[in-house]
Amino acid sequence: MTSLKNNSDNPFLYGLLTAMPVILGTVVMFWYSGVNVYSVSLSLLLIFCSMGSGLFLWRHHLAELAQTNARWELDESSKINAIATYTTELERLLLTISPILSQQVMFSREHTEQEIISLANRFAAMVNELQQIVDSTDDTLDGQHFHLDSVINTSHDLLQPVLESLTRIYQVEHQAKAELQKLSNHLGGLHAIAAEVHELTEKIDNRHQLVDIELRLNTEVNAVIEVVNKALILPWFDQGFLGETAGDDLTLSQAEDHINQTLAYLGLALNHYREDVDALRNNAEQIRAEINNVLVALQFQDRVSQILTQVENNLLNLQKTIETIQRQGSNRDGNMLQVDAAVEHIEENYKSVNSKSEREPEGSDDLTFF
Amino acid sequence: MIKTILIVDDSASMRQVVSIALKGAGYEVIEACDGKDALNKLTGIKIHLILSDINMPVMDGISFVKEVKKLDHYKFTPIIMLTTEMEPEKKQAARDAGAKAWVTKPFQPPVLLGAVAKLVLP
Repeated sequence: MTSLKNNSDNPFLYGLLTAMPVILGTVVMFWYSGVNVYSVSLSLLLIFCSMGSGLFLWRHHLAELAQTNARWELDESSKINAIATYTTELERLLLTISPILSQQVMFSREHTEQEIISLANRFAAMVNELQQIVDSTDDTLDGQHFHLDSVINTSHDLLQPVLESLTRIYQVEHQAKAELQKLSNHLGGLHAIAAEVHELTEKIDNRHQLVDIELRLNTEVNAVIEVVNKALILPWFDQGFLGETAGDDLTLSQAEDHINQTLAYLGLALNHYREDVDALRNNAEQIRAEINNVLVALQFQDRVSQILTQVENNLLNLQKTIETIQRQGSNRDGNMLQVDAAVEHIEENYKSVNSKSEREPEGSDDLTFF
Repeated sequence: MIKTILIVDDSASMRQVVSIALKGAGYEVIEACDGKDALNKLTGIKIHLILSDINMPVMDGISFVKEVKKLDHYKFTPIIMLTTEMEPEKKQAARDAGAKAWVTKPFQPPVLLGAVAKLVLP
C-alpha cells in the first residue's frame, strides 16, 4: 500500500506523463511550421486537455486503489482477528491444559512410584520367606531339636535295646521251659520216692517215724516246688509268657522284622527328604537371583521418574513463558517465545536422561573407589 | 552390633530398593529425601556409612557431602555416591568433596553390598 501511494501521490507527474505525447507533437509542429499565436494557443489547449485527462485518470486510479486497499484491509483485518482469536484461544488452551498435564504426570509418577515400592516390598518379602524356609531346613537337619538324622538314630538306639531284650527274653523263655521240664521230671522222681517210702512205712509198721520221714520228704518237695514257683513260674505268669506256644515265637520274630523294616523306611524317607531339601535350596538360590534381577529392573523407575519430572518442568516453563507474554498485551512478539532455545533446552535434557535410560538393564556394575 | 547406613535419594522407589538390599545383608537403614533432610537426621547418632544420590532437589549430593565433611561427628563417615551420572567431571567433583566411592545406577545388589562392606566403619 505504501509503495502504491508513493507512485500515485503526485498528480502533476501523472498529468505530465499523459500530456507528454501532445508536448512532443507541439515541439515537432513548431519545428516544421514555426511558432505563432494560433499554434501556441492550440498546443497549450491540447496540453491542458491531456493533463486534465491525466488528472482524471489519476483520480480514478486513486479511487480504485483506495477501494482495493479497503477490501484488502478488511480481508486482512478479519484474518488478523481470526489469528488473534486463535492465538488467544491457543494460549488459553495451553494455560488450561498445562496444569492438568502436569498434575496427570505427577499422579502418574506418584502412582508408579507407589506400585514399584509395593512390588519391591513384595519381592523383598519373598526373599525373606525363602531365606526362612532355607534356614528352617538347615535347623531341621543341623539343629539339636529337629535333626531328622538324630531322630532316626535316637529311635534306632531306643529300639535296639528293645530288640536285644526281646531276643534275651526269647532265649530265657526257652531255657525256663527246659528247666521246668527237668523239674517236672525230678518231681515225678520225688513222688515215686514218696510212694515207695509210704509202702515201706506200711511194711515195717513204724508209723510214727515213717510219717515224720514222709512229712519231711513232702515238705522238701513242696519247698522245691514253691522255690520254682517263686523264682521262675510266677514271674512268667505275671509277664504273660508262660504257656504260650510257637505262635508267640513267631510274634516276637515278626516284631523284630517290623521294627527293622520301619527303620529301613525311615532311612528311605530321610534320603528323599534330603533330596527335597537340596532341590529347595537350589530353587531358593535361583529365585533369589531372579528377584535380585527384578530389583535391578525396578531401579529404572528412577529414570522414568526423572523423565516425568523433566516433562513436568517443561510444562511449567511453557506455562510461565505464555503467562509472561500474555502480560505484554498487544506488544506481543513471536521472538518472545524463544522457540528454538526452548526446544534445544528440552532436547538437551531429553538426550541426557535418555542416554542414561539406554544403559544395560542387567546393571552396569560401575563401581569406582576413590 | 548392627551397623546403620543413611540413604539419601529423592526417589522413594530407589530408596526402597537400596533399603531392601542393605536390610537383606543385615544393615539398619535410615532414609532421607534430599541433602538437607539428611543433614537434619545427622543428630549425633552413629552412622557407619552414607549412600547419596547426586541430583536431588533442595540440596544436591555434592553439596551434601561437603556439608557432612564440616561436621566433626561425621567427617570420617565414608560416603558412597549412588547415581545415574557418568560424567568424569562429576566424579571428580564428588571425589574432591570427600566421597569414597562411586556406584552407578542401576546397580547389582552384590556390587553395592561389596562396596558397602569394604568401606563401612567398624
